[in-house]
Amino acid sequence: MPKQIDRDEVRRLLDGGAQLAEVLPSPEYEEDHLPGALHLPLRHVEERAADLLERSRQIVVYCWDAA
Amino acid sequence: MSPRAAWRLESLGFGDVYDYVAGKLDWMAAGLPTEGTNAQRPRAADVARKDVPLCGLKERLGDVRDRVRAQGWDAAVVVNEDRVVLGLLRTAELEKDPAQLIEQAMRPGPSTFRPFVSIHEMGHFMVEHKLENAPITTSDGRLVGLLLKQDVVSQPADVS
Amino acid sequence: MSEPAASTMEKCSSCDMPIELCACCDEPNCGAAICYRCLNLALGQAMPEPHDHGG
Repeated sequence: MPKQIDRDEVRRLLDGGAQLAEVLPSPEYEEDHLPGALHLPLRHVEERAADLLERSRQIVVYCWDAA
Repeated sequence: MSPRAAWRLESLGFGDVYDYVAGKLDWMAAGLPTEGTNAQRPRAADVARKDVPLCGLKERLGDVRDRVRAQGWDAAVVVNEDRVVLGLLRTAELEKDPAQLIEQAMRPGPSTFRPFVSIHEMGHFMVEHKLENAPITTSDGRLVGLLLKQDVVSQPADVS
Repeated sequence: MSEPAASTMEKCSSCDMPIELCACCDEPNCGAAICYRCLNLALGQAMPEPHDHGG
């Protein structure tokens, strides 16, 4: 089960080398994304995840908000 | 979206997946930097004056007014010890009875704006509503700075 | 103190909802009054519901 984390935990994981991915579509990703975030739109997770992400590393995903 | 993405990644065999539930809005509302096309455009936090005079609830208005004017300002923000915005003193409030405490004289609970709002948008609203200044705060209410209309309208026009 | 009747209150210039104070300038009788929800949407401080991408 994916673990839900807050902003402080995000920063801690990123400092530890975690991968970061935004799952919003374009143009939201291009307009603003967290520094270093990869673009992994939800609709394309199956196609792109294997190419974009390393299985051995932690992954943090996010979208716009909790709504 | 992110919960669905996180679950999908786990089902695809990615073992260590975390969901930043509060998302990009939370990150930006905290005043943290972003990358992208919007990051190149000036935002409220970039232009807001960080050196705005501050004061506490229990100070005397007359003392605060003297200090504010000595610093060349006509506004001050009322904050607590954690820099959380409690009120605002604009020209009208500073003109009140100097014997009053700040908590009596101030404009309580003013409208505040997030650090990432574009200057272009802020300018539109500040001009339309004749808003001389506006506190910029993070999502937990902490003051980033005071945005002045004069600074906003003097920014180069948005070329987007 | 009783609250003003909705019929006598200003209306949001965007969604027409009765409001007591403009969310932008905190003033009553603002000629361009706007409610908090519409202001947040206009400034990008919120996303419209439902999101067009499913949220």
